[in-house]
Amino acid sequence: MAEDIATSHASQELALAEAPMDARTLLSVRDLTVEFQTGQGRFEAVHRIGFDVAKGQVLGVVGESGSGKSVTALALMRLLPDHAARISGGRVVFDGSDIVPMREAEMCRIRGRRIGMIFQDPTTSLNPIFTIGHQLREGLRAHLGLGRTAANRRAEELLSLVRLPSVRAALDKYPHELSGGMRQRVMIAMALACEPQLLIADEPTTALDVTTQAQILELLRDLQQQMGMAIMLITHDLGVVAEFADAVQVMYAGRIVERAPVSRLFANPAHPYTQGLLHSMPALDEEDPAVLPAIPGMVASPFAMPDGCPFHPRCALASDVCRAAVPPLNPIAPAHSAACWHVEAVMAA
Amino acid sequence: MEQTPLLRIRELTRHFAVGGRVVKAVDGISFDVRRGETLALVGESGCGKTTTGRLLVRLAEPDGGSIAFDGTEITAAKADTLRAYRRRMQLIFQDPGSSFNPRMTVGALVSEPMHLAGLKRAEQAARVAELLPLVGLSADYAARYPHEFSGGQRQRIGIARALALRPDFIVCDEPVSALDVSVQAQVVNLLTGLQHQFGLTYLFISHDLRVVRHVAARVAVMYLGRIVELASKQDLYRSPRHPYTRALLSAVPSHRPGMTRRRMDAIGEIASADAVPSGCRFHTRCVHAQARCREEDPALRELAPGHVAACHLAESLPS
Repeated sequence: MAEDIATSHASQELALAEAPMDARTLLSVRDLTVEFQTGQGRFEAVHRIGFDVAKGQVLGVVGESGSGKSVTALALMRLLPDHAARISGGRVVFDGSDIVPMREAEMCRIRGRRIGMIFQDPTTSLNPIFTIGHQLREGLRAHLGLGRTAANRRAEELLSLVRLPSVRAALDKYPHELSGGMRQRVMIAMALACEPQLLIADEPTTALDVTTQAQILELLRDLQQQMGMAIMLITHDLGVVAEFADAVQVMYAGRIVERAPVSRLFANPAHPYTQGLLHSMPALDEEDPAVLPAIPGMVASPFAMPDGCPFHPRCALASDVCRAAVPPLNPIAPAHSAACWHVEAVMAA
Repeated sequence: MEQTPLLRIRELTRHFAVGGRVVKAVDGISFDVRRGETLALVGESGCGKTTTGRLLVRLAEPDGGSIAFDGTEITAAKADTLRAYRRRMQLIFQDPGSSFNPRMTVGALVSEPMHLAGLKRAEQAARVAELLPLVGLSADYAARYPHEFSGGQRQRIGIARALALRPDFIVCDEPVSALDVSVQAQVVNLLTGLQHQFGLTYLFISHDLRVVRHVAARVAVMYLGRIVELASKQDLYRSPRHPYTRALLSAVPSHRPGMTRRRMDAIGEIASADAVPSGCRFHTRCVHAQARCREEDPALRELAPGHVAACHLAESLPS
């Protein structure tokens, strides 16, 4: 067991060595582990993950419930629920400083200012009893120390930036008076108020209708290019990743199982889980087989993780080695790594 | 001669009064559901698709219009008559977990419809033992409680429950939307397999145009309480005739990396059903809208055999 971790650790570093930390690296995560303490016991929601986000890069993080994708986002923002979870190991280096040991006061200068965040459901982050204008101005005055007039002007600018129709009227509205798409635009305006270098977007369009989703993604993409910020886009939707991200990492049961440039991942998935996800989605413009090629079974409970590769109970290629040892995230092509003992067989399939 | 459809819906209407305003959730819709087919009902939140499903299985009362089930008018049927039909119509929900009584075992949950229908205890137990394996669950699970199961397994329990009384018709209301991607395909396969095995007819309500393309024979598109287009799956996906359908289809993220060029037929968001725009209710979002669209409510017209759409400009839209 200790040996597995050692090999897995060594090769994770190896995989990252392809893209050495340079001036373009904005965020560098190494060996990040997040531990949860619950009534049922202790478990690791995220296990020794490592990745980099370059300045201006859009990194898609794909996974389903229990994959650890949202926990990773909360850990990066140091927003894990204190009583239940903690970062139990690793480093999160943002623009040169490790935020893991930072005091809360110091973290406050980064969170919301240099790292912005938007969530799936904007209603939970907007205060229902204050107007949109009040909430925007409050943030601007607190974070940027703007005066009343300047804050007001900036609030208007921000709402125009996110293409809210009739900006003046919107400032006087309460959150419930706006549609879901409009609320998400307000959230984006708030997150961008301090021109963050990194925006963490956790399922930003999942609660929205498909035509609204398309508009919000287009807006985010335009703003990202205009402002040159990096985005870490967390989603369960491979289609959103295909359209939006430069690079993707796929998470499963608290680990990164594959990482690749987006076109490479869709053309040559190297992990059976990634391949299974891609195959199980019905096509939009061609005939599917009558029976969809589904991934059997379901994600194991964090309290009953199988030995070896966490995906092996659902994998058609599983062999003895898969049941015995966790496969390391190994480089298989430039900027492409996968954690599978049978990469060759997967890619040949 | 054409068979009578299993369901024949005409001018079905359901309005709700909310805070002094009238929400036109379903505002005069007509369609047939053919025996053994899957008719998909798609549209965005607030379009009235869930209300339509509930009206069809008579979980909601219509204000007007008619529903004929297997040739019999059931819109005004009394409780006794309705009971016989209720057995033949069932509903599968998006999140079965929230509709289950957490203190009932899986066996009791699956038995409940049979209990209400007056089946004997022994018959119920035998049927449960038959149903659980049918939906891919172990018969031993009957003694366990719903919270012990994952979302996908709970949906299987919901499906077993819906099948208990051997219905002909099932309204599937977003049956895979709450499930993880890797589990969605399993449940889709289960539903299509059961349909073939038992000759079931489905109304499949969904906002997911990928899943719909896989399961449906025909697709109806709803917008603000109306059906704006209805066609065979092939026609609808290959040559959508209503600007709203075109907008929906072009908004689905493709699996080809890189931002796709969108054909922009729609702007903004769905209007509220308590303030339905004049004329064509889609005109406020339609990039093609003309003066006529703001004044005149377009009727559903047959544009090709079996392909209807409600758009004044259907013939002149740019391709």
